[in-house]
Amino acid sequence: MGNRPVIVAVGRTKFGEHYEKEPEKLIEEAWLKASQEAGIERRDLEACYLSDYFLPITNKLGLEEGFLSELTELHVPMEVTRSFSSALMNACNAIQAGKYNVVLVGGIEKMTDRWDKIRDDLMLLEDPWSYYAGCTPEANHELMLRAYIKKYGINGENLEKLNIALAQISVKNHLHATKNEYAQYQRKITVEQVLNARKEARKPLGLYDYAPISDGASALILTSEDWAEKFTDMSIYILGSSSATDYLTFPVRQDLTHFLASEIAIKKALKVAGISLWDIQIVELYDQSTVMEMISLEDLGFCERGKAWQSIYQSCQDYKGYYEINGKKLFTNLNGGLKADGNPLGATGGAQIFEVFKQLRGEAGERQAKSDERLKYGCVVELEGFGTKSYVYILGRNHK
Amino acid sequence: MSSEPIERRVSYLGDRLRGRRCGICGKEYFEVRDYCGVCGRKSFGKMVDIDLFYEKGKLEICTLINEPTNKFTKLGRYVYGIVSFHNGKIRVPGRLTDRITGEDEEIDFSVFEGREVVPRFRRRYSVNKSDIIPTISLAFTFADEYYPHQEYNVVKPNKMYETPGIVGYGVYIPRFRIKEGNMERSVPFIDEDSITAAVEAGKLALIHSGVDSTLVGKVYVGSESNPYAVKPIASKVAQVLKLGEEDEDVQGVDAVDTEFACKAATSMFKDAASLVNYPKSNIQYAMVIGTDNSQAAPRDCPGGELDLFVGFGACAYIFGKNDVIAEVEGWYSCTSDTPDFWRRDGEPYPMHGGRFTGEPAYFKHIRKAAKKLMERLNLKVEDINYFVAHQPNVQFPMKVAKELGFKEEQYLPSIQVAKFGNTYSGSSPLGLASVLDIAKPNERILIVSYGSGAGSDAYSLITTSQILEKRKRQKLTVKYQAENPFLSYVDYTTYRRLKVGM
Repeated sequence: MGNRPVIVAVGRTKFGEHYEKEPEKLIEEAWLKASQEAGIERRDLEACYLSDYFLPITNKLGLEEGFLSELTELHVPMEVTRSFSSALMNACNAIQAGKYNVVLVGGIEKMTDRWDKIRDDLMLLEDPWSYYAGCTPEANHELMLRAYIKKYGINGENLEKLNIALAQISVKNHLHATKNEYAQYQRKITVEQVLNARKEARKPLGLYDYAPISDGASALILTSEDWAEKFTDMSIYILGSSSATDYLTFPVRQDLTHFLASEIAIKKALKVAGISLWDIQIVELYDQSTVMEMISLEDLGFCERGKAWQSIYQSCQDYKGYYEINGKKLFTNLNGGLKADGNPLGATGGAQIFEVFKQLRGEAGERQAKSDERLKYGCVVELEGFGTKSYVYILGRNHK
Repeated sequence: MSSEPIERRVSYLGDRLRGRRCGICGKEYFEVRDYCGVCGRKSFGKMVDIDLFYEKGKLEICTLINEPTNKFTKLGRYVYGIVSFHNGKIRVPGRLTDRITGEDEEIDFSVFEGREVVPRFRRRYSVNKSDIIPTISLAFTFADEYYPHQEYNVVKPNKMYETPGIVGYGVYIPRFRIKEGNMERSVPFIDEDSITAAVEAGKLALIHSGVDSTLVGKVYVGSESNPYAVKPIASKVAQVLKLGEEDEDVQGVDAVDTEFACKAATSMFKDAASLVNYPKSNIQYAMVIGTDNSQAAPRDCPGGELDLFVGFGACAYIFGKNDVIAEVEGWYSCTSDTPDFWRRDGEPYPMHGGRFTGEPAYFKHIRKAAKKLMERLNLKVEDINYFVAHQPNVQFPMKVAKELGFKEEQYLPSIQVAKFGNTYSGSSPLGLASVLDIAKPNERILIVSYGSGAGSDAYSLITTSQILEKRKRQKLTVKYQAENPFLSYVDYTTYRRLKVGM
């Protein structure tokens, strides 16, 4: 028995606009839900790992640790990083090193408070030189799609199918979100709506291809293996975790048609977990755009390069709740993905983990995966920036 | 608020698209790196400076931006993409400029992709009026349209002249025009101003002259529409064009802005010529630029009469003693305190009473300067092949030319105001350029500028045989820019919007 990190409880807020709540109120809500679930007291926490992408910019809020200290009346070590996944990575390292036994990992973002300047901020942080040249947060996704279409010579009927496949991703994610009480958009959309929005914009991607801006928070309690049993008998293990990085400036990257960081991270994570890619039954992908979801299927290795759209198109002709790839079912973005669940950057990864945690425990209620066998392994991919960082987590149930 | 250090760093790299190439493996970077990421430690000291300022690139992929970020909203809809240079060895982000994209315009990206583009020096995005103006050359236009790609090759001089003179020149006029009646006037694109035009003209003059930019020891920029009340245009020109020897990030050049209404540039011709002639100056070349986003109040406001005549553009002249194309034979300047046209500090548009504009201002000073110079040099009207005068409209230069006794063939070639409008500081220099574009060796040109306030500079220039050889290097002649098939005509509202800028 190693010192594998174990998730014993998760909590989150609804994603969307929370103009009436201070950022710290959101994290409090998420944390209380998680702690209640596992019967954890504040004083059980030995450390807190928090994340927010840019609260100091959106809310002029620095030293978030201090706010949380005041709220919880705790004086334990607290650290803030930019994404939920990076906070979780630090927490995992600390648990594995034997430094702590029980820690809180929390993520928060409050984007709608700065709705008027948010796209400038996002773009400038994501890729400054592209920003200076006139790029928008959406444009890099569109360029990636252009590069993809050109590289794989997709045209005619195939191009039409690819465009529909991308629309279907959005439709599918919205469908999933109708069963997610926490989701920002709990309503169905149609392929026609997605296509019409593109037509209106006169662009390859439109309004319905992109995740929204959101407020929200998420939290989880991470413990060492030995301590987990005190809180729950349905532990979810972090079997493998890894991250990788790539250049900030998108145009400079070697290959514009995929995210190198994800490709590297998944390989390492699988190796650590000691499972094969095809053992994974459920995956939460980082679909900041429909293109990102498609590309991620290839980056992780589920689909061949240049072909993910075919599997998506086939699966969505008569959608049964999963992608069918190589004759295997892959449940993807059951919470609605970033597109419909919402994308409060610093909290997004927490919502992805939340979903896989609930699914693996069979507690996802209405949106529980209709799997032939009980779910055993799930995977979460979170990106920072436009693929500048990629985090991959492999979660598993009672894996001894 | 903008950050001066960030502006300084971004524009240092972005204005000239500076980078480095690894001397070992040849990998290229759009950033000034001290070592190569592939070769590592052994590449220290082996990185070579490169820049993409005079290069042509290829638009690899593009998309349409119809909802720009806040700072770009004034650009409206635009095409944005990725541009590669050196056969894909280096890639940069970039937007297409000089293009008004209609609300209903359907764009087929594949028509744009794969085409050659040239970097253009432009404003980067909008800022508050009190902020530093951000600039960048990550704006591009197609090389097969209005602005062609031209290589900048430094040519070793082969002849030293006794008399200093013009060794090269460049005229920069954008592709936009407004046409009213018989008059066409040049209109800036929304990301242009007198600073960006000055740099573009200087670039063209370097290309035409073949002069090594590090040998240019002085640059004068004359303008009456510098968007800054305090901060020279010349410093931007010096840094972007790398004038003088660069040491660390400082250029070994004297750069100064001058102002005297429309004669701010011509006034410095003699200073430039004298400076390169002074044996102890160590300055081989001096550049003079006249640049203006000629200002005028909207038509129905006081001073709005000017709105019928103003243009936009810049002209750059390089003076020296090597490979001269036109020697400066002599000059005469005159000045009087005549308040015919003025703009008070802080006011956006100039005023003119109208009382003085013609006779005691324009005609009196031009007549005086022309006559005095001809007298001094003992010249008769027949000795002069071309006469160039300041051109606020079509009638004035024609009237004064006739009065001085010149015939149509002597003065008509220089009259360009009906094609470009009054380019203020660039007005008579533009007329001169149109003559230099067609002049034969050993011809005499008399140019007389006029600046409100008031004064005139008259110069007599004699062309040399080199004028023909250098002509081949410049595709962007005055005629090319006047009669270009890619001209884009805009209506009055668009013209005002573009002129006000970002």
